Amino acid sequence: MSAAAPISRDQGRILFWLAVVLSVLMLAPMAWVLLLSFTENEALSRGTEAAFGGHFTLKNYSDIAGNSGVFRWFLNSLIVAVGQTSGVLIMSSLAGYAFARLEWPGRKVIFVIVLFGLAVPEQAVIIPRHQIFTTLNLHNTYIGLMLPGMSLPFGVFLMTQFFRAIPSEIDEAALLDNASRFRIFWKVLLPLTLPAQATLGIFTFLMAWNDYWWPLISGTDKEMYTLTIGIASSQVNFAQTEGLGFLAAQAVFAAIPVLIVYIIFQRHVVTAVSGGAVK
Amino acid sequence: MKRLLLASTAATLFATGAQAQTTIELQRFFGACDADYGDVTDVSSAVGECGIITALINDFEAQNEDIDVEVTTVEWPGYDQLNAQLASRNAPDVVSMHYSVISDYTSRNLLEPLDDLLAEQGIETSSFTDAALAGVTKDGQIYALPFDNWTMLWHLNMNLMEEAGLVDDSGAPILPSNTDEFFEHAATFEEATGKPYLVQILANETAAYARLFYTFMLQQGADPFSDPTQIDLMTPEAKAVVEFLKKISDEGATTTDMDYAAAVAGFGSGEGGIGVNGTWLIGDYTAQSEEEGNALSDGYTVYPIPQLFATQDATYADGHGWAVPRNPGRDDDVTAAIGKLMAYLAENDFQWARTGHLPAVASVFEMDEFQSLPHRDNIAEVAQTGQSLNPQVLRQFSIQDIIGEEFNSAVHGDKTVDEALEAAQNRINDLLANL
Repeated sequence: MSAAAPISRDQGRILFWLAVVLSVLMLAPMAWVLLLSFTENEALSRGTEAAFGGHFTLKNYSDIAGNSGVFRWFLNSLIVAVGQTSGVLIMSSLAGYAFARLEWPGRKVIFVIVLFGLAVPEQAVIIPRHQIFTTLNLHNTYIGLMLPGMSLPFGVFLMTQFFRAIPSEIDEAALLDNASRFRIFWKVLLPLTLPAQATLGIFTFLMAWNDYWWPLISGTDKEMYTLTIGIASSQVNFAQTEGLGFLAAQAVFAAIPVLIVYIIFQRHVVTAVSGGAVK
Repeated sequence: MKRLLLASTAATLFATGAQAQTTIELQRFFGACDADYGDVTDVSSAVGECGIITALINDFEAQNEDIDVEVTTVEWPGYDQLNAQLASRNAPDVVSMHYSVISDYTSRNLLEPLDDLLAEQGIETSSFTDAALAGVTKDGQIYALPFDNWTMLWHLNMNLMEEAGLVDDSGAPILPSNTDEFFEHAATFEEATGKPYLVQILANETAAYARLFYTFMLQQGADPFSDPTQIDLMTPEAKAVVEFLKKISDEGATTTDMDYAAAVAGFGSGEGGIGVNGTWLIGDYTAQSEEEGNALSDGYTVYPIPQLFATQDATYADGHGWAVPRNPGRDDDVTAAIGKLMAYLAENDFQWARTGHLPAVASVFEMDEFQSLPHRDNIAEVAQTGQSLNPQVLRQFSIQDIIGEEFNSAVHGDKTVDEALEAAQNRINDLLANL
């Protein structure tokens, strides 16, 4: 395939301004939410134009901080998201290596069965899963909140594909040097998968952080609320009118860790979105 | 010294024993407002649903030092969470519940009947309003402490009504008494003000359609659930209601494309004469009318939806109650504490009525404090005219969504009235047949 022709100066200018317009369009809702979060609820209840009318307040944020449970919920979310991400990375890496590199009976069939998991919606399994967790007494525990998200067929698929893309000569060279299978996995191949691990880790973290449904029905004890459940539970009944500023402040507050993760791992997110992780 | 230590230890143990804490787990919606009301026990100083219920519980704990009420707030309405808790045998002791969903739980034997508990506390069922009592009574037993009634109302912009000449000599609004008069008033109003008569929630909304539909069906004396296991919408009465709702939109007698938030703000900013919305907005609009320089300044009042159909004055009403999930292992101490809490909440129903909801305890209507609340005399009749659906009807929240979706299609012209009614009937009956 021939290399793409360099873009002209005019084309570059058009692309630049297109990017600017798209960026503004993307940022506008976020800026709007930020603006609302610093505006008095009472003023907003009479019309959102109040956000431009100087009704500035920090009360929406102080109300969040004043909720006795909010830091507990934050900690719960962090524990669940980090735990779930760790679990997915460990299991997906091990499974991906086994599917991609090891020869064992039933490998292909089991890989297909794992991939079937991609086609099963959560709605289809949530009731039996809830019942199983009831039987095992796992509701309102961290492990109960983390476990369902750890079985991530996409992660296994991603890591399998990534391991497959690594030349097999690397393993063979290591085998000739008398390295064990685990040593090859741990010392040679795993470091090469770091871009895929980062991508998978970021997506899993974000998914766990934003998860609502399972924590809603499993972590029903307020001490086990995750941030998404906790902040939703503190909304008044007609939050969209009576507490719009508070609602916006909650959205900003909940988004902060996600933004931090994004900023730290920005390069890997971009790689993942552009499809560069699976080569 | 040793004797002193022993004595002080014994005294401490005695004191601890005397104040042994009984914990009630209470789960509710209405939001959390710890920052403003976390320590407030002066209920009269609290405002809003969240503030008042928080202060009520604080005050109850202060009055009953041996009882600890562990409050868990849930996102409205919280039934997914409650269902999950019931399935995992981990339900709270007391839970906020709409009257319209009580049947969903009693039909599965998941709630405790409260007749005996209330009687032990000296709470007589006759102390509740008819509308409230009907809402919590299933098969002759009470399954929740009724706390209020709420309904859709006509919130009136009296400044615009006056401009349209729809105010009588006494300053009271002139409201239509039938559907023909409704359209005459709407035309008069629009001609005088250039604005639509109604401000309605017609976008991203299902509840408002269903509540209006039930109200106008009740006004015709028609019960679409004469058999609670299926709905009958292929009736002249149902068709008349949907055609009326559609005509309001077709003739420009209402704002269009407003969602809930837009409709609330739209009425407040004077985009129409009558905001069709719930009891819970009375406080906000009253406060706005007491300020200068806005569309409602010195010009707001509120009335029940007028009787537009001939048979009877009626309005669909739901309400909030406090239910007790069944738990055979619950300690007697906890049950007794729940009884005390119920008695306290019933006794302080006036405080809750300050939210705008109508009291469930009939005597509150006679209280001077209640009568001095703005506009309450206008809407007090809802305690008699308010009616709920047949209490045997299950899945009323889901039915409400189906009705809203289908009637929205009819009002916006995506389906004919007949098609919408048929689709709603089929979907609801499918739902009920598969329970």
